[in-house]
This record gives sequence, C-alpha cells and structure tokens, in this order.
Amino acid sequence: MEKLKAFFGYAMAVLAFPLIVVMIMAGVTGLGDVFVEATGLQTAAKFTGGEVVRTVGHGAYETRVHRMVFDALFWERSEGFIQVAWAPLDALPARIDEEIDADGDGQADFRVEVDTANKESTLTPYASWVLDLEGTYRLNDTLAVRVRLRNPSR
Amino acid sequence: MTTETQPSDQAKVQSPRMAVWKALLLCLPILLLSALIPLLSLQSGDPLMIISGLAVWILVNVFFVLMLITGKTHRYRSVLFIMIAIALPLDFIPWMFETYGSMLLTDETIYSGGASFCPLTMPMVIVPALVKRVVIFPGTLVGTGTHGIFSMMALLWLGVSLSIGRGWCSWGCFYGGWDEFFSRLRKKPLIKHKQIDRRWIYLPFGILLAIVLISALTYEPVYCAWLCPFKLVTEFQAPATTLAIIQIAIFILLFIGLVIVLPLLTRRRIQCGLFCPFGAMQSFFNKINIFGVRIDPEKCSRCEKCIRECPTFSLNEASLDSGKPLMTCTRCAHCIDNCPQGAITYRIKGTSLKASPTVARVLYLYPAYFLMAFIGGATIMNGLQRLLMLITTGSMLH
Amino acid sequence: MTRLCSDVILRAKPGRLRLGTAGKGGEVILQGFLLGLASGTTCLAYCAPVLVPFLLGEGQRVRQNWAVLGKFLGGRLGGYLLFGLIAWAVNRLILEDSGVRAPVLGVAYIALAALLIVYGVVRTPTACAGELKGARAWLNRWPALLPVGLGFLTGLNVCPPFLMAFAGATGTGTLWQSLLFFGTFFLGTSFYFIPLPFLGAFRHVQPLRTIGKFAAVIVALYYLFAGVLLLVGDVL
Repeated sequence: MEKLKAFFGYAMAVLAFPLIVVMIMAGVTGLGDVFVEATGLQTAAKFTGGEVVRTVGHGAYETRVHRMVFDALFWERSEGFIQVAWAPLDALPARIDEEIDADGDGQADFRVEVDTANKESTLTPYASWVLDLEGTYRLNDTLAVRVRLRNPSR
Repeated sequence: MTTETQPSDQAKVQSPRMAVWKALLLCLPILLLSALIPLLSLQSGDPLMIISGLAVWILVNVFFVLMLITGKTHRYRSVLFIMIAIALPLDFIPWMFETYGSMLLTDETIYSGGASFCPLTMPMVIVPALVKRVVIFPGTLVGTGTHGIFSMMALLWLGVSLSIGRGWCSWGCFYGGWDEFFSRLRKKPLIKHKQIDRRWIYLPFGILLAIVLISALTYEPVYCAWLCPFKLVTEFQAPATTLAIIQIAIFILLFIGLVIVLPLLTRRRIQCGLFCPFGAMQSFFNKINIFGVRIDPEKCSRCEKCIRECPTFSLNEASLDSGKPLMTCTRCAHCIDNCPQGAITYRIKGTSLKASPTVARVLYLYPAYFLMAFIGGATIMNGLQRLLMLITTGSMLH
Repeated sequence: MTRLCSDVILRAKPGRLRLGTAGKGGEVILQGFLLGLASGTTCLAYCAPVLVPFLLGEGQRVRQNWAVLGKFLGGRLGGYLLFGLIAWAVNRLILEDSGVRAPVLGVAYIALAALLIVYGVVRTPTACAGELKGARAWLNRWPALLPVGLGFLTGLNVCPPFLMAFAGATGTGTLWQSLLFFGTFFLGTSFYFIPLPFLGAFRHVQPLRTIGKFAAVIVALYYLFAGVLLLVGDVL
C-alpha cells in the first residue's frame, strides 16, 4: 500500500510538468477558444448590450435594436437598459432621428436624435418605463446609445 | 508547549547543492521550452524585442541552474517574481495607451469588451458561469490577443491550480512581486509577528465568501470594482462620476496600505497573505495538489524562525507539531532556504518521510519554474523591450 | 422545473386566480406554493449573502441551525407582511413607486449593515455571558434578536418574488385566501433554504466561525454602500 501511494505520488508529480506545459500552450495558442465555444459561455449582456433582436435598414446604414436587458442571476431586475446601435460608422448621416420600438409590440417607445459627429444624443420617451439616456458610445464599428428602462413586466 | 532552543552550534546546515553537470542536464527541459521566448521575439523582427527575448532567456536559465547548484530556491525566485511585477505595468500601461489612448477604462472600452481578464476575477465569475453560462466581466472571451483573453486565462489558471496549487501566488502572480518587493526592503520588521493577531489570516477567506455571494447577487465583479489594489498598476475606470472617484480613492489607499506600508513595517506579504481572495481560493487547490512542504520533526529545533518569517503567515506552532504548513502556503521556499536545521523541504504527498527531498524539489520546480520562466519571462521581455525603447527613442509607445 | 412552475403561475393573472369561492382553497394553496418554488432561488440569492456568513459564524450544530433558520425566515416573513400590509392599507402602488421604495429600502439596507457589523465585530460566544456588558450582553440575553432582525431587514428588501406573490395575493380574492396564497408562497420559497442548516456539519472547522464573521462585515459594507446610494443616489 505504501509503495502504491508512493508510486501514485511520483507519477502525479511527474505529470504535473506536462500538464502545466500543455495547459499554458493551449491557452496561448488559442485552443482555449474551443473550450469556451463548446460551453456556450457568453459575456454578460450588461456589458455587451445583449443580442440584436431587430434590424432596420436605411440604405447605406442600418439600425440594430438589441433586446432589453434586465438580467440577473435567477431573476429580472427592476431597472435595466436597451442598446440601439447604428452601423457602419463611415456610412452614418450627420444626424439620426429615429423612433424605436423597444419591446417589439409594434409601437414606438422612445425617440432618439443623434449628432453622429459629436456623439451627442437626446431622448424623448413615449412610454412611462423609458427613463433616460445613459450615454452615446462608439463601439467597434457602430455608434450606439444606451437608454435606461424600468422593467415594464414588473 | 514549545521550547525555544538555539540552533546547532555547528555551521549552518548546508543547502542541498548539486553538481554543475547535473544542474545543466536538469535544466535542459526548461532551456528548450523557454526557448519559445526568444523565438517569439525573433518573429517580431524588432531588434529591441530580440535583445530582450535573448536576455530574458539567458536570465531565466542561469537562475534555474543557480537554483539547482546552490540549493537556494527563494533567493532567485524572489528576484524574478519582483521583476515580473515591475515589468507588467511597464508593458501593459503603454499598451493601453496604444490601444485605447489611455490607461483609463472608459464605458466605451468596457462595452467593447476591452477590459483585460486577470485570474483574480475567477472567484467571482465561477458561479454565474456555472449557473447561467454567463461571464460577468467586460472582457474578451476568445481570441489570441496579447493581454487578458478569458480562454487563455482560464486554461492557465486551471493548469497552474492543478499542477502547483497555491504555488501560483509565489511563482506566477503578476502582482505579488510588489508585495514581496516592499516586504524585503527593511532588514527588521517594525511590527513583529506576535503583534499581529493570527485571526487576520482568515480575512481573505471571508472576502472570498462575500465577493462570491455579492457578485452572484449583483451580477458584477465586485472585487474588481471596489477592492483590487492592483488596478493602480494596470487599468481602472475613468473618474467620470463621483462613484468612480470613490472607487479610485479606495484602491489607491489599499495599494498604499496593503502593498507598500504594511509589508514595509512587517516584512510580510500583507496583501497576499491577509487580503487576497484569489489566494484564498487557490489554498483549496493545495489540498488536492500532489506537492507539499514538510517539516521534519526530528531535525526541527523549534526555534520558530520559520513562523516569524513566513511571508504569508502560513506557519504556526501547530504546523511544527503536524509537520506541515497551513493550506495557505504559497511554496515560496522562504522557510526551506532559511531553516537553520534544514528541517523543511518540498515533498510529494504519499511518499515516505525518508524519500529524497531533492527529487521532490526538482519535480516541483519544473512546473513552477516553467510557469515563471514562460509566462513571467514573456512579461519581463515585453517590459524590458519598452524600457529599451524609452532609452533609445525617448518613448515607450510603438 | 422552476421555469415550468413560473410559466404556469405567471400566466394566471390575479383575476384568474378565482379566489372568490371557498372550494378553490386547494387551488390557492397549490398556486402559491408553485410560485414560491418557481422563484425561491431568487429569494435564496437575495438572502444568502446575509444568511451564509451568519450560519458559518455562529458555528452551531445542524439541529440548532434549523432553529436559527426558522427565526431568520420568521423575521423575513415579518418584513414581507409589514410591507404587504402597508401596501394593502395605503395603495399597492407604493411597492412599485421608486420614490417611496428607495428611501425605505435605503434605510433598511443601512440598518441591515449595522446589524451585520454588530454581529461580525461584537458577537461573542455565550460561555462568558455573565461577564459581558453593553451590546454583547444584550445580544446574549436575546439570542433570537440577530436572526430575526437579519431576516426582517432582508425581508424588507422587496425582491421580485415577493412582488409577484403580492400581485397574486392582492387579486380579487378574500383576505384569508390572500393570506393563504402568501403563506404557501412563502413555504415554497423556503424549500431552497433547506440545505443551509447543513453548514453546521462543518462546525468542527474552527476557522469557519471567524471567516463567517469577516464575510458578514464585508457584506455589511456592501449593504451600507447600497443603502447610502439609494438614499443619495442622484448625487453620485
């Protein structure tokens, strides 16, 4: 028994070296991406803005309306936001004036006017659960606004 | 009840030295694997990077050979560990300026997935990742960028944790070297170990429990947002709101207190030993890790030098009775190198008490030193390259 | 299972709960309980930051932890009922009006933080109860004060399941059926707390008591910050 334990101990100790080499090499060469994609892990919508649920074409550019984000671990928060983005950046007009249907019921819930050159926006809420504008951002190849919302289902 | 006895009058116990030819032979795996560093630098084509890569490759291998020849681990480990910590901001902060124009994280950077993953986020992201398959950190999940991709960090963390447990904290952590540096500046502590209440060693576990629960509740990485002192040497949120200013003030105070002042006064790694929740989490991996540290009760003279000097408070009187340190041991080898009786050694669990400590030491050094030489070495290479750029061109930016 | 339960219950709008006849008492019990089961994980997530450090810090046996849990849940129910009664008496909309909820919640959070700090810093074992003074003696004289107080203040945090239950309970039914709905809902949510007393199995790990207390203080700092933010949020 003692010999078995010692054998196991030495075997594990010897294997520790190739284990760490393999894991580190797999990490730096991008093999870890396979693991991440296989598990379906995603960055929290609070940071990414959530999935795009509707796209509205305007010729050279398009409007991407993301889903409303109220995510928490097991429940929905009482307040959240919606991200609306316009892309591509180089095709955007100097001024965007658009009504947005946030909850997909076919009715506009707010209007946003964006000065694309100066990254300034104004918000006109139509629904009582549309609160205010969080900010205007250049994200990758899009210009986006985040509008704070109160959860309409609560 | 312990009795203090004077160390033997005989000359200090010799460290387990090794013949030069043996050391060179044993260095071959490290030499070959760490050759990737100069190879990567050659790929870049940048002369300064090539010089840095070669210099680092030579440095890490010379240090490894010296470690084996002299039998001293902590001395050389500590130097490299401190170099890694200093090199990181030398490279990372200019990279932030090159990529985002600032070391400050704006909302745009965060929403674009530009925050760099660091392993300290692991305790907070685990629960939401397991329950909802969601990573509550605004970083990039996949890709082969040079800084902080989640997939890379996750594999690195898992591999290190399984191989060397909490050895991460003394052989891999990008930040611990700051703590170590300031803890080694004074010759004697101003606050002695008996003046420090031993219950503080449980604070990191309390912080760990709290941040896991609160991060799951708030869906935010609360330690990163509020408590991590090392944002000072990497990246932090822009002071665009009063809240952000408060957060910045907190982490600056924590850095000054836990990383500079208290280590100076105590000669201990206060942030690592008495605060860091990631270290607390890694302590659990010590339980399943095959390596350990052993105190030979027959050789131990109960002088308690190891207890007085352990940088992370991982030794106490009970350790001397049980023959092993607490689960918070970071395997830094400070006690191993400094025990006057040579009573403390690395060990492999399951092996007999009479097993060769040299074999255990070498088998431990391979994974630990590879981590330090490869990941840490690359960090030093990048930092050195920036330094050379500053000297030759007056700028650290590409 | 929780998704199925919540789908079944949430589709039943208050009016459709048919609380008007005594024969529907079984339906009320079942719906309340299922809603509780559906949303109990949320309750656990809200309560765990307070309850887990507390149970660890107490270092009591599993059997004693059941009593502690019972006191906590009782306090939590008290918090729910208080808020529910106020809403019933005034206007249920106060539950949704953030102008009213925010300051109430802010004060509750700060009180919760204070209690957690008192627990983490002041609370000592009862062996030397006779010699203790001030807050320590007080806490040892009324040991139920802490778990009940913590539960009550946690219950004042009007969490999403409570809002759903309140919406369900204040439908068009009679008062006793509303209370029945609410009570069975509460039982359903409490199901998820069952594993927590088993933390007592680790009571022999002495450091866990210290760790629990440290965690309680850290959690207290979070609630203190959250409470202050709710009270003065516009400034920040």
